[in-house]
Amino acid sequence: MLKASALYIVIIIALVIAVLCSSLIVATYFYRGEYQKKFRYDKLQNNLNSGVNILLAGADTSYNTGTTFSLYHNEADSVTLKKIFWGMYNIGTSVAFVQKDTVYKTFSIGYNLDSGKWAALYLIDEDRPLSLSGKTSIIGDTYIPKAGITTAYVDNKAYQGDKRLVIGARKSSDKTLPPLLQSRLDQFQRFMRNYHPGDSSISRKDSVVQSFLLPTKYFNFKKAVQNIANIQLSGNIILVSDTTIIIDTTAHLKNILVFAKSIKIKSGFNGNCQLFAKDSINIDSNCRFAYPSCLGILRFGQPGLAPGQEYIHLGNGCNFDGIIFTYEKNMSALKPMVDLGKRVKVTGQVYSLGGLRTKDSVEVDGSVFTSQFLYQDSFTLFQNYLINITMSSKALSPYYLTGDLCPVAGQKKKVLQWLEVK
Amino acid sequence: MAGSKMRISKKVRASTIMEVLIAMTLIIVVFGIAMMIFTNVLNSSLSVKKIRAQAILQQTMLNVEASRNEVSQSVSADDFRIEQEIKPYNGNAALIDVRLTAFDNNQQKVAELEKVILNKND
Repeated sequence: MLKASALYIVIIIALVIAVLCSSLIVATYFYRGEYQKKFRYDKLQNNLNSGVNILLAGADTSYNTGTTFSLYHNEADSVTLKKIFWGMYNIGTSVAFVQKDTVYKTFSIGYNLDSGKWAALYLIDEDRPLSLSGKTSIIGDTYIPKAGITTAYVDNKAYQGDKRLVIGARKSSDKTLPPLLQSRLDQFQRFMRNYHPGDSSISRKDSVVQSFLLPTKYFNFKKAVQNIANIQLSGNIILVSDTTIIIDTTAHLKNILVFAKSIKIKSGFNGNCQLFAKDSINIDSNCRFAYPSCLGILRFGQPGLAPGQEYIHLGNGCNFDGIIFTYEKNMSALKPMVDLGKRVKVTGQVYSLGGLRTKDSVEVDGSVFTSQFLYQDSFTLFQNYLINITMSSKALSPYYLTGDLCPVAGQKKKVLQWLEVK
Repeated sequence: MAGSKMRISKKVRASTIMEVLIAMTLIIVVFGIAMMIFTNVLNSSLSVKKIRAQAILQQTMLNVEASRNEVSQSVSADDFRIEQEIKPYNGNAALIDVRLTAFDNNQQKVAELEKVILNKND
């Protein structure tokens, strides 16, 4: 017998409708939640990028201590901006937040090249001509002594390059190199003068990674020679030593700074770092330094009673992307030297207050600013001779950015590298 | 066959008047609540118009950043009137404060966007 039971059927229908309604409510709730999240995120991204632009437009001294402020004096538009001295460059950190939502970007800041000052070669005028021999090629504008450029016959080899000698404009150089930026040198001097407390050992660790949003992690080895091996060091880390730091090929360095009296890099090293030494930087053969790396000799004190010559040496087959420079506040008789081995390729800039010693098949894609060139074969030392060297300012990427220390740095600041993004 | 009577062998038990009344009340209440929820969901869901306005403002901001022509102006885009207000940011000539506001056909504010960009003409 068929049962009518209207109430029973109605309850079933009511249950089905209730389930449909609740699923509708839940779907709407999640949709709204996700959309509002995206809306907030878009707004935070705008605030974050505004912060990046403010850092790029601000003076170098602004935001040295982290500053939190409201962008437009409205609700939910707070950002925290900070600029950190990071060797050749500055690091900017921009953090935007609304309640618990936080987004951030950390980046290094570079300068565009000043096309008016940019040159493939700047050789100071010591009333001597520049001589070219072998397969030498100079592409780009040059600043050369008034005595000009000649070709020369060295080791029974004549000049085999382009007949124009310089493929680009020739301008007269001064008696001295264009100076490095004093304010950046002052920053270096302050940093090297100050004591930086930190761990004195990095043994029993296989990797140390420090965010640029956190305080800088220092390792201060004081007067103990330290061998950095079998470790990955990345980010906001500075190694400091009063003596020698030896960096092994098994060490992976990324974006860190090293300050020491002398630094030695073992053969086959591959990384990205900025190395600053008072006395010497010695890089063995076949090392690769990724952009933006930096090698710098910085001597602010008085030369000692028997000062040795400060130098940067790149061994045969090294590949370096970045900036190599030497600076000596009080010039000694032996000026700091940059020494490039056979088949060394530098993509970037070489600025040597003293001289630049080269061997065969050296290539510089960028610029060379130096007081003199030295070329040594088995028996003879040639002064201001370019033999089997390629220099080309045109071979450098148009997106290359330099540090403000360099005399060719323009006024415009740009993001050189995104380091951390969330 | 004429005059023969059809016999209904099955009997359907009728619901009581009370049962029918309760069932009717219940289903009216349940449908009523369901319609209220449905209307609420429809009303409170994000309007497609607002989402579209937001996307247009983002695109306009990208165009302003890419161009060198940063001037205050009013432009129409996809049924919206977009007010573009440009002013120096905190007196810094190297920075520009760009404020974009989208209005619909009824001149109601639908969305707005503000960003500090670099002054390319500086």
